[in-house]
Amino acid sequence: MGSLLALGESMRTLGLLVTLLVATPQAATDQTLLVPEGTIITSARVTGFDVDRLSPGLRDAISGLAGTPLRKDRLEELAARLEAERPRYVAAVRAVMDDGQARVFFVMGRRDGPRRDDKDNINERYVVEQADISGVPEADVSQALLDDLRALIGQRLDSGEAERVRDRIERELPDYEVSRRIQRGSEVGRIRIVFEARKKEPPPWLRFEPLRSIWVYHSEQGGGAFVDANIGDRNIRVTPFFAIDHADDLVEEYSGGGLRFETRKLGTRRLGASFEWSRFKQDWRPATLDALALRSDIPSPYRRRSTITPLLKFAVTPDISIAGGVSISELDPLSPAIDSTMANAAVATIDFDRAWRDGSDATHRVTGNVGVRSGLRDLESDLTYTRYLGEASYRFDFGRHHVRAGGMAGRITGDAPLFERFTLGDSTTLRGWDKYDIAPAGGDRMVYSSVEYRYTGLALFLDVGSVWDANTERRARVSAGFGFHGGPAFLVVGFPLNTENLTAVLTLGLRIPRIGIRW
Amino acid sequence: MVGRARPAGAALLALLALPAMRASAQTLTVGTDGDALKIRVVGLSFLKGDPITRLKDGRSVRVELAAMVLPGAGRPPAVTTRRIFALSYDLWEERFAVATVGVRSPQSVSHLAQAAAEAWCIEQLAIPLSALSSLGPPNKDMPFWVRLEYRILDSDSATDSPESAYTLQGLIDFLSRRRKADSSSSALEAGPFRARRGSSSQR
Repeated sequence: MGSLLALGESMRTLGLLVTLLVATPQAATDQTLLVPEGTIITSARVTGFDVDRLSPGLRDAISGLAGTPLRKDRLEELAARLEAERPRYVAAVRAVMDDGQARVFFVMGRRDGPRRDDKDNINERYVVEQADISGVPEADVSQALLDDLRALIGQRLDSGEAERVRDRIERELPDYEVSRRIQRGSEVGRIRIVFEARKKEPPPWLRFEPLRSIWVYHSEQGGGAFVDANIGDRNIRVTPFFAIDHADDLVEEYSGGGLRFETRKLGTRRLGASFEWSRFKQDWRPATLDALALRSDIPSPYRRRSTITPLLKFAVTPDISIAGGVSISELDPLSPAIDSTMANAAVATIDFDRAWRDGSDATHRVTGNVGVRSGLRDLESDLTYTRYLGEASYRFDFGRHHVRAGGMAGRITGDAPLFERFTLGDSTTLRGWDKYDIAPAGGDRMVYSSVEYRYTGLALFLDVGSVWDANTERRARVSAGFGFHGGPAFLVVGFPLNTENLTAVLTLGLRIPRIGIRW
Repeated sequence: MVGRARPAGAALLALLALPAMRASAQTLTVGTDGDALKIRVVGLSFLKGDPITRLKDGRSVRVELAAMVLPGAGRPPAVTTRRIFALSYDLWEERFAVATVGVRSPQSVSHLAQAAAEAWCIEQLAIPLSALSSLGPPNKDMPFWVRLEYRILDSDSATDSPESAYTLQGLIDFLSRRRKADSSSSALEAGPFRARRGSSSQR
C-alpha cells in the first residue's frame, strides 16, 4: 500500500513537472503566480539544474521556503539570486496549488545567447574605436570574423555583443583560448577592445596507468591494502606502490612493492613508454593450495614474484591507443630446492577512452580495452600460454544520478602462471560471492557483467558472472546488493542470489585513487 | 518566527563591541542606523588578485556578500542578509561603479575609490533590528556574533583537471595555510556584541 501511495505521489509530481516544463523559462520578472499570497508552501524545488551546484546559502534559502507562507517578492528575489549566481541560466518561478497548499518550482533553463556578465559595466557608456585580435596570425582569421570585429567599432560598448564575438572567435579557432580586454582609446570617451588569443596546450593523447590505492576489508577474505602514489608532472610520472596482504584482484595474496616510470610524450604526444618493476611475496589460502593439490595441470604456486615490464605506447587518436612490450617474471618456488620458473610474456593492448558532456550537462564516459599476454619460449619463458582479456565500461553522471555498467571476458590457453588466472568475487566483481568458494585456484575462462545505479552515495547493483576452467562445468552466478559511498569510503553489502546459502558478504574500505605530488 | 519590528523610539539598542576581533589587521564592528544593524569593516578588501585584474581589464565582477548574526562564535546563523553586487572599473575616470543585482529595486553608485566601493557593498547588508529577537528573550542583553562572508562569482579560475592530484604547489599552499579557495572567498567573524534594550521596550 505504501508503495502504491509513493507511486501515486511520484506520478503526481511528474505530472506537475511536465506541466511546468512545457513553458520555456522566461526572465524571473516575467513570471505569473496564480497561487494566492500567503498560501503555505509545502515544497520548493529547483528543476533543470543540479541543485548541488548552487551555493549552500541559496540551497538552504530555497529549501527553507517549505512551511512558510508564499510571498511573491521573496520568490522573485530567490529567482533573481539563481540567475545572479548562474548567469548562463534563466530562472522562472512557478507555483501550483495542491490540496490547498502551494508547491513552488524554480524552473531553470540555459540562455540561448552567451551570458551577460557585464551588463552592469560602467564602460558601456564609451564608444569603441578599435577592435583587434592578438596572438593569432591574421591569415587564420576569416573575413566574416573580421567583419564581426568591425561591426563593434563606432558603437557604444555592448558587453553582450563583445562576448558573442569572443565566442565566435573561439569556435573558429578551437586551438586557442580567447579572453577579452578593454583599454582606453586615443581620446576621452573612446575605448579599444582587444581579444587576446592564446594557443591552448594540446590535451594529452596517452593516459597514465590508473592509480588504484585501496584498503579493503572483505568479510570472507579478510583485509589488505594496495597503495600507489604518483609523483610527476603532466607528461612524466613516477609511481611507487606497495601492497600489504592484498588479495582483492588475484588468486594470490601478496605483499611487497615496486616502482613504475611513465612518460606520455616521447618527442610527440602520440608516443609514450613505461617501465615497471615489482617484487611481491605470496601467501596462499588453504582453499587454493587444496585445489592445486588436485590439479596437476595448473603451474605450481610460488613464494616470491619479481617482474619487470617495459612497454611502448602509441596513440592512434586521442581516444584510441595501443601498447606493446614484454613482461618478464621470475617465480621463486615454495621449496628452495627447486629452481625458479620464468613466466615471460609478450604484451599487447588496445585501449579506448572517451568522455563527453551532452546538452543537459550530463557526462558520459566509455572505456574499453582488449589485451593479450603470451608466454613464449622465444622469450626464455618456462611457461607457454596465451591470455586474452577484453573489458568495456560505460558511466553516466547527471547531478546526483550515476549509472555504471560494464563487462569483461577472458580466456587462457596453455600453462599460465597463477597470477594470470581469472578470479571473480571480490570488492568489485560478483560482490556477494567469495572467490575462494567459486574458483579457489582461479579459472582459465571468465565472463562477467555488472550494472550499478547510484543516487548520491547510495548504490544498488546487480552482478552476473562465471569463472571456470575449460574442462569443467560452467556455472553462472548472480549477486545483488547495495552500498554506501562517501568520499573515499565505501561499504557494500552483497547477496549471492542463485545459491542455497544466502549469506550477506560485506566489503568496506577506502579507495583513494589520486594520491600524489605534481610538480 | 521573527517578531515584528519595534518602533524605533521604543527600543534603544546599544551595541557594545567588547573585543572586536582583529584578524590580520581586519576589524569588524557593528552599529545601528535607524531600525537596522549595519556592519563596518576596516582593512578588508575583497577586490584583489584575479578580480581586480579583470576589473582593470574593463570587465565586471560579481561578488556575493552575506552578513550573519550568530548566537555564538562558530554557531549557525540566526539571521542572514545576502546580496550580490556587480562591480566595474571606469577606465577613463579610474573609479569603481557598483550595482546591486537580483533585487527588485536595483541600486547603483559610481565614481568611488576601491575602498569606498567595497564599503558601499557592505553598507547595503543591513540586518533589521527586529530580527535580533530570534536570538532570545527581548528583555535580555543577548550577546551575539557577526559574520561577514564574501564570494567572488563567475571566477575564471580553472577547475582541477581530472588527473590533478595533490600538486606540489597545492601542498605548499596547504602547509602555509594559503588555500586556493581563500583568494575567491573568505569570512570574517567578530563578537561578542551585546544588544541592550531600553526599559521602555521591555514587556
